[in-house]
Amino acid sequence: MAAGKTGGLKRYYDLNGWLFVAPSLLLIAIFLVYPILRSLYLSFFAGKGMMMKFAGFGNVVRLWNDPVFLQALTNTVTFFIIQVPIMITLALMLAAVLNNDKLKFIGFFRTAIFLPCVASLVAYSVLFKSMFSVDGVVNSALLAIGLISTPIGWLTEPFWAKVLVILAITWRWTGYNMIFYLAALQNVDKSIYEAARIDGVPAWARFVYITVPMLKPVILFTTIISTIGTIQLFDEVYNLTEGRGGPANATLTLSLYIYNLTFRFMPSFGYAATISYVIVLMVALLSFLQFYAARDRS
Amino acid sequence: MYSKTNLSRFAAGALAAASLLASTAAFAGEVTVWCWDPNFNVAIMKEAAARYSAKHPETTFNIVDFAKADVEQKLQTALSSGTTDALPDIVLIEDYGAQKYLQSFPGAFAELSSKVDFSGFAPYKVQLMTMDGAVYGMPFDSGVTGLYYRKDYLEQAGFKPEDMQDLTWDRFIEIGKQVEAKTGKKMLGLDVNDAGFVRILMQSAGGWYFDKDGNLSIENNAALKAALETEQKILQANIHKPAAGWTEWVATFTSGDVATVTTGVWITGTVKAQADQSGKWGVAPIPKLNVEGASHASNLGGSSWYVTASSAEKDEAIDFLNEVYAKDVDFYQKILTERGAVGSLMAARNGPAYSEADAFFGGEKVWQNFSDWLAKVPAVNYGVFTNEVDTAVTAHLPSLGQGAPIDDVLKAVDSQAQGQIQ
Repeated sequence: MAAGKTGGLKRYYDLNGWLFVAPSLLLIAIFLVYPILRSLYLSFFAGKGMMMKFAGFGNVVRLWNDPVFLQALTNTVTFFIIQVPIMITLALMLAAVLNNDKLKFIGFFRTAIFLPCVASLVAYSVLFKSMFSVDGVVNSALLAIGLISTPIGWLTEPFWAKVLVILAITWRWTGYNMIFYLAALQNVDKSIYEAARIDGVPAWARFVYITVPMLKPVILFTTIISTIGTIQLFDEVYNLTEGRGGPANATLTLSLYIYNLTFRFMPSFGYAATISYVIVLMVALLSFLQFYAARDRS
Repeated sequence: MYSKTNLSRFAAGALAAASLLASTAAFAGEVTVWCWDPNFNVAIMKEAAARYSAKHPETTFNIVDFAKADVEQKLQTALSSGTTDALPDIVLIEDYGAQKYLQSFPGAFAELSSKVDFSGFAPYKVQLMTMDGAVYGMPFDSGVTGLYYRKDYLEQAGFKPEDMQDLTWDRFIEIGKQVEAKTGKKMLGLDVNDAGFVRILMQSAGGWYFDKDGNLSIENNAALKAALETEQKILQANIHKPAAGWTEWVATFTSGDVATVTTGVWITGTVKAQADQSGKWGVAPIPKLNVEGASHASNLGGSSWYVTASSAEKDEAIDFLNEVYAKDVDFYQKILTERGAVGSLMAARNGPAYSEADAFFGGEKVWQNFSDWLAKVPAVNYGVFTNEVDTAVTAHLPSLGQGAPIDDVLKAVDSQAQGQIQ
């Protein structure tokens, strides 16, 4: 029968399809799904190293009473609330400027601004550390031009250490976001700008009312990517502070705290797993909020 | 043609078989060691291995050198995952972390007390590797502390070497002010992200973050309180050059910017590496705190060797450590002269190298002094949470500089530490 034949063929194709994706599904299950579930299971246990006992929600209770966790959470939130808007705005402005065909050496500028994100995370952190040391290049330059009278303790004072981390990640990632905007700007019809110019719309208004709305989906995408990246911030603070998140825990991030709980302190795998779920929840919640805020209202 | 190919095939096969045989034979007795400082413990372990191999040619060594943080991370990962294949036969562990590993991974390290005579070692060193009455490690280098000072700077400020003996920290700060007034140099470099200085002071008065039974002791800890008070006085007197991180801290004295260094004896190699400063340095006992039980002797860092219980070469590794590190006095003379390593085997100090004068330190018998101080280092319980509490103390060092009352700082440290140690 014709129907049975098609059914058999369909089953044949289905089976073949599943067989083709089976290896990757299996790998995803072993290396992605299993660790995620296992860490959830782990977060219900507490103890020293391998001497773990079931603790129920003990780790969640511990979260509430742990001043270091609260400090790490505050730091992480501070970093993305301040750094992500600065970086996105900077990247947008740079993209708008570098989209101008009349600008000379445009290729050079684009490359120069994009180049930092090709640099290795560790290499640039070490470089920043030496540039911003008490008698480093930056302090010497600021002293020389008379902007400051005593050297700034970039890595020894809590406030400046936060500023330094924000400076570092902004330097590293602005160019990366700019490339997204530049690519998206190629799809914006030039005649829109032309029409606006003829109507006498000033440059700033063209930027605010044409460029930004046209780039909305890309801005949403980069904001989410940057938020997730900042919440998981680890390499920069690890290398700038020798893994301590100092001074005064001012640069301790959640990821760094997880690392310390697992590898530097008495290993508390259960508690570290609990904190990693805090990150998961934060990323999920913030991504949802951003999608919600930028939804199409039409 | 055929015969030639066959012949070469045969030759290749024979070679392969021979090399296979050779490699398996060598593997049978290969002891793998993890340690971290190529100029210090790695070089010393190579020397020890050479001595043992000379007498036991069937034993070979594979000494793996990587960064200390990586050794600790790799060890912790391998122990937690239970994949014993990934572990070495012998691993170097810093003394502060010893109890953490012993207690969180019971059965992971071989017990040595039945095979090694520990009575000849500095007692504080043996105590930190003892759990339930059994000793699990082979004591290695000591971090006995000294006050290294620039004779030339102090002389300009009007102080002779005699003036540097038997100091109190208050006197040290007074001298520091005069040194800065007369030479423009700071008295010491301080890493504000590191509590090492506080630990030196605290242990010199017989205190630690924990009491004898391993319970957290912060708020009523006289030694810790005095140590923090001293650090605060130094910060407020502004006789220090701030540094962020180890490299910057080392640069404070290698560059000649500061007049003194108070730290473990293992820094000697770094101090002596500045050949142009030869003859300008002296070593005195560290100043004393103003509390009961205070002394001029303390310790910073130091590490010991541990044999993993799952090792296939366990007995060989223990025999090796016992023969070289617990018995070979001559070995300790060599590592002292070449690497500046003060071992914790007390018999070693009767050897010739310890009584030699050092031209770099203007002919002082520095090693004899260090070994005298070593015998006086107060034994304390490093507990299992030293890293955690140390982080809590470090986090509150900046507020100390801003003049926060010590009792408030102690309370804040206590509350952070309580949250960490469960």
